Amino acid sequence: MMSSQPATPVPKQNSLWKRGSINVPGRPKLKSASKSKAADADSFQNFTESVSDAWDIGDDEFCNLSIGDMIISPGEVHSAALSVLESHKQSTLSVKPNACTDAGKAEALQRLAMKDAVPRLPDHVIHPKHYPGFPRPIGQGSTAVRTSSESETSSEALRIQKFQTILFEGSSSINMEELKKLSWSGVPSAVRPDVWRLLSDYVPPNRDRWESVATKKREEYWNYVENYYKTRSDEQNGETYRQIHIDIPRMAPLMPLFQQPLVQEILERILFIWAIRHPASGYVQGINDLVTPFFVVFISEHVERCLELTSNSPPNVDKVVSAEALRSVEADTFWGFSHLLSGIQDHYTFAQPGIQKRIHQLADLVQRVDKTLHAHIARHDIDYLQFAFRWMNNLLTRELSLQCTLRLWDTCLVEPQGFGLFYLYICAAFLFHWRDELLRQMDFQSLMLLLQNLPTKDWTPKEIEVLTAEAYRLKYVFDGAPNHLAK
Amino acid sequence: MSYAYLFKYIIIGDTGVGKSCLLLQFTDKRFQPVHDLTIGVEFGARMITIDGKQIKLQIWDTAGQEAFRSITRSYYRGAAGALLVYDITRRDTFDHLTSWLEDARQHSNSNMVIMLIGNKSDLESRREVKKEEGEAFAREHGLVFMETSAKTAANVEEAFINTAKEIYEKIQEGVFDVNNEANGIKLGPQHGPANVHPGSGNASMSQSGGCC
Repeated sequence: MMSSQPATPVPKQNSLWKRGSINVPGRPKLKSASKSKAADADSFQNFTESVSDAWDIGDDEFCNLSIGDMIISPGEVHSAALSVLESHKQSTLSVKPNACTDAGKAEALQRLAMKDAVPRLPDHVIHPKHYPGFPRPIGQGSTAVRTSSESETSSEALRIQKFQTILFEGSSSINMEELKKLSWSGVPSAVRPDVWRLLSDYVPPNRDRWESVATKKREEYWNYVENYYKTRSDEQNGETYRQIHIDIPRMAPLMPLFQQPLVQEILERILFIWAIRHPASGYVQGINDLVTPFFVVFISEHVERCLELTSNSPPNVDKVVSAEALRSVEADTFWGFSHLLSGIQDHYTFAQPGIQKRIHQLADLVQRVDKTLHAHIARHDIDYLQFAFRWMNNLLTRELSLQCTLRLWDTCLVEPQGFGLFYLYICAAFLFHWRDELLRQMDFQSLMLLLQNLPTKDWTPKEIEVLTAEAYRLKYVFDGAPNHLAK
Repeated sequence: MSYAYLFKYIIIGDTGVGKSCLLLQFTDKRFQPVHDLTIGVEFGARMITIDGKQIKLQIWDTAGQEAFRSITRSYYRGAAGALLVYDITRRDTFDHLTSWLEDARQHSNSNMVIMLIGNKSDLESRREVKKEEGEAFAREHGLVFMETSAKTAANVEEAFINTAKEIYEKIQEGVFDVNNEANGIKLGPQHGPANVHPGSGNASMSQSGGCC
């Protein structure tokens, strides 16, 4: 049992994780970590000051902090994972010998997360073939424009080429294993639509069949719309439609793209069609937030400057995307969204048993990994349901920016049970990230306010890389462990 | 900051009636025209003064969608006050009050003070529910009634504070057992049986001046 392992949560895989008595592989300190933490602390401080009239140190129970009880330090995890990712980039993108011990350790950890090393990049610049008819040749021609406009680094350009090699070069059958390995660490926005279609089983690995399959799927969606959308005024489906209709304008209030009437109509159709085709759950608030990432990804392949779309003053969608292309975007969004939900349907059936189970498991996991944090939460009468419910119900879309969500989902689309069991580890890693701040809160009120308003404003995909690496580590240790994770 | 009492509230009512906006206006004194859907429950808090006494309000704002009812029901227990909110521009939200009230009465302690609130009173031109109807419903079911606007802040303070006054009066009358936290009321530290920090000795607490 974990309880007898105060120094490390990894009793069985000691040889993998703990080579020295103190140095844990992939856990060197990195300076940049402390900087972002300071910023986080600042923003939370601002927040606390703004509600200072409601704050009261020590009004509930008290707690004794004992740092000695600490099992995992999120600071260490954070810096470790950062360095893992840094060194992984160095080692895979350039041919650089790994003499440094830290980098070597870090690479080992990352390799474990990737299960295998990724193939080496070819030296020449790749010009993928053009496949007419298939939704806008991603990364073909337009990549250069997008790359420079998003000022991606040259290493990012190399990464894009790697993806393009897999997607467009060689035999018509895509090597899905290679693609998954590469995608786990993030998919460049230029190739994300193609990659997500493949990872969502929307199109088959055989490239020659992409176009025909996609065309068929799109027709299928539009047939649903034709047959079912008119039932929105029926007595049976009217309530579902009314609910979606009043919810859509309240979605993503900070992204003007989703205030455009045309975009709202698209979301409304997608949600309504999904809801009436899945009567066991129907429409549950929160799943609307799971549509937007797919929409943004699939529309991005039709616009030259996709960053503009998510800006504060996006162009009108119908001005920059043809009606025909928008029909494809809508259908692709529907199928991507449907695929995601098919893995977590019990999250949204009556009484949401899937979420209840995950939250129960989260509490169990935290208790095993970090007794101090768990005791702190319990001492202040905080129920995991009170903060983790939204995390699970909306898959952290409320906690993370869209950009971060996309990066997170790159990994989750690759992971088996990526939006189910793996999200449990993601949520746990997310909670551990705030450990120190949480332990500083001395009463129910401040703890709850922090848990419900975690300062992720400045998060970038870099933080998500740390999060996924840590989630993978937790999964590696706990998945399938006997007596583990309460039923 | 010390307080005499802590009261716990719950805000309930159909989705989109303005529950979260009422809370935001009360705790932050601002209005957000487009408010994201509340998922599960959200927490807010503020200190108020009644009869010269500091009272801390801790408020659970609940999701209105039926699908979340099994989650939000558990928050009735342990609430001393409830704001039951409808939207004066949407008749259906008024029609659903009976079922909300049944739910509340069934799952809460019997002394819970319920304030009925007709929100969005700034939208007079779109009004579908007359003020008299709200008053009649409140009278019939023994509730306190008020029309509010989270947008203009009209009556928002009053709604939360008058609910607290009712609870306070019930305490004075001895209706509430203040030593039973399940009632949603907690005595402040200086009213407690002892001023000693239970099992503490934590240095960081000294900044609160010896008393929390």
